[in-house]
Amino acid sequence: MKKRILSLVLASAMVLSLAACGSKDTGSANEEPAPAETEAEAEAEAPAEQESEPAEAEAPAGPVELNVTTTFAGEDGNAQNFKNAVDAWCAETGNSVADTSATSDETFKTRVITDFETGSEPDVLFFFNGADANSFIEAGKVVSIDDIRAEYPDYAGNMNDDLITDSLVDGKKYAVPVNGFWEAMFVNTEVLDAAGVSVPGAGYTWDQFLEDCQKIKDAGYAPIACALGNIPHYWWEFAIFNHTSPATHLNVPTSVDSEQGQAWVAGMEDIKALYEAGYFPENTLSATDDETFAMFTEGKAAFLIDGSWKVGGIVNACQSDPEDPSTLDADKLAKFDVTYVPGMNDRKATDLIGGLSMGYYITTKAWEDPEKRDAAVSFVSYMTSDELVPVFAQHTASALKNAPAVDESAFNPLQVKAMAMMSGVTSLTGAVQDIFQGDCRVSTFDGMPEIVTGRVDAIDAVAEGIDAYNAQ
Amino acid sequence: MGASIYKNKKPLIVFLLPAFLFMIVYLYYPFFQNIINSFQQIKRLGQSGTGWNDPWYMNYVEMVKDPVVWTSMKNTLIMMLVTIIGQVGIALILALLVDNIRIGAKFFRTVYFFPIVISATALGLLFNLIFLYDKGMLNQILESLGKTSLTDWKSEGLALFTMMLPVMWQYVGFYFVIMITGLNNISEELYESASIDGATRFQRVRYISLPLLHNVLCTCVVLAVTGALKVFDLPWTMFPKGMPMKSTFLTGTYMYYQTMEAKNVDYGSTLAILLVILGVLTSKIVNAIFKEKDY
Repeated sequence: MKKRILSLVLASAMVLSLAACGSKDTGSANEEPAPAETEAEAEAEAPAEQESEPAEAEAPAGPVELNVTTTFAGEDGNAQNFKNAVDAWCAETGNSVADTSATSDETFKTRVITDFETGSEPDVLFFFNGADANSFIEAGKVVSIDDIRAEYPDYAGNMNDDLITDSLVDGKKYAVPVNGFWEAMFVNTEVLDAAGVSVPGAGYTWDQFLEDCQKIKDAGYAPIACALGNIPHYWWEFAIFNHTSPATHLNVPTSVDSEQGQAWVAGMEDIKALYEAGYFPENTLSATDDETFAMFTEGKAAFLIDGSWKVGGIVNACQSDPEDPSTLDADKLAKFDVTYVPGMNDRKATDLIGGLSMGYYITTKAWEDPEKRDAAVSFVSYMTSDELVPVFAQHTASALKNAPAVDESAFNPLQVKAMAMMSGVTSLTGAVQDIFQGDCRVSTFDGMPEIVTGRVDAIDAVAEGIDAYNAQ
Repeated sequence: MGASIYKNKKPLIVFLLPAFLFMIVYLYYPFFQNIINSFQQIKRLGQSGTGWNDPWYMNYVEMVKDPVVWTSMKNTLIMMLVTIIGQVGIALILALLVDNIRIGAKFFRTVYFFPIVISATALGLLFNLIFLYDKGMLNQILESLGKTSLTDWKSEGLALFTMMLPVMWQYVGFYFVIMITGLNNISEELYESASIDGATRFQRVRYISLPLLHNVLCTCVVLAVTGALKVFDLPWTMFPKGMPMKSTFLTGTYMYYQTMEAKNVDYGSTLAILLVILGVLTSKIVNAIFKEKDY
């Protein structure tokens, strides 16, 4: 009998321990409000901006923990700025932040979308405002800026609404932007000098670019640093842009036979021509983006099309310790410049890809939680304030109504060159690949090696992608 | 009463229940849901199916027509052969050699087993540096030996070799340890009596060690073949997205690619079913061929 009781006790203990494992996380996620003494402390430290919030908003019950996810992590140039800003906001409000930020890549996007699907979305997120956000906007899981303004009239009041991107789902504005982005062409001037090529300027044409590439190749360097088998995205975008225009670039073709469809095919053919001419690195089909970027920074390749975030990457590559700015090799950094992407047809070299593609969302879950609503609004307001936005935006665009003058003395030489380049930009157009999302991109992104080697016709690859897009 | 507790098996059910529930929730439910998913339209990862495919077996037709599926199956088959010959074969030779030495046997056991304790992803990154095109270790060695051009070890012609070499190297130690244990279980008296009868060292291996190691070898081959079907992390770290030209896909990596990268979730579910069928079939075939003997 004793053994039977013992066995039952052991079995119960096992089941209970499993149940306890399961309930532990849930318990921490739905913690009871903090003790009264902490509440008093928080009230004493409450910021002025919270005091001025409308009376109808419920007063916060006490310090709350906000779940926040952003792309300010890893090698992102603003990762440290974000950490500093979060610390400052927490110190100011007494709240805390559970930060689940991660590097901006497909895994991050998938994680966020899956979190929304499973009801475990964060309270605040800094995320893309293009097609990536469609699923959770369609499901009503984020709150529009107008709805927030109905309760908090000053919310995002410092932003120029015309520059806040409309949702592709319902045309409403959801994401409060911070820093914009641009895509342009970085050059290694050491390689250009060795090949007798001058740094391209505002009137740079495709024909001039081809001539320069040939000179660079003849001098024994790789003209273009790009891993076509890994990250062909930037060349894909600009190659298509060269056959469209700032006015038409964001139109996804309805069929491959349409004018826009033919423009896309022509873009793919241009990349194929560059590959056949040997202007990409020899191992472009098997290399990773990191490898070709290393070729660029080590003076083995001349041109690199990439985004504004790469300024930080190049600066890091010029430091003996990427974590320590004092180890910057200024002479090495001086060899890099950033300029316009060679233009063709209706696109001028100074017409670049760029804009404000991301912003802060407040989720419906946080909005409907009386304990978190104020904190979420306060957090986004803090992160998008006139003081903080310039810190994040640096040499990129912002949507501030009254953007303060930029203090160039705090910038490194490449950032200063980027500012000069941006001053000559004639237009910034969004990336059509942000609309052309999901499996429709596979045939021309992952399929780029097959296109450039002629195993798949560009027209078939584009047609396959458009068919997949139309089926979505 | 004392002995009756051993006759009453009911309490055992209570012990088995938690693990059973765990398996239901985290293995069998997803497995059957995956079968349903393979017939549905799923727009993106994390979303539920929006309806049935038209026709409902569309993904299966596509799978048969998809040349990359055949490439991945061919590569997986090569991987199985490599594991049998490269892992089990080399492990057997090493085990026989180590079994015949008196000094340093423990040292060699540790040395050969060591790669197993390193994570496959870390090994992938390590071998990435070894096979790097520019300034990679291997190319630098070749350069110092007078080679003037760089070798792209990840090019289409060499990619499979570059991918399978580290996988093979990693698991040799695992099978080595299993075999050396099997060899240790063979009684010394057999070898001694064979020596007295005038058997050479080779004859002792051929007529004593190998026959008595038969069951251990069978177990190793079954483990190696079924393991080859599951290899994922190291190939994916070294050759993401089947680079170059989708030539290095294995069935597992292609399934992951279609689901996580191409966002073709329902097609990825179909490939997962193919993976299960292949797993069941190959383990049946291997079990039939390498049947264990009773002595």
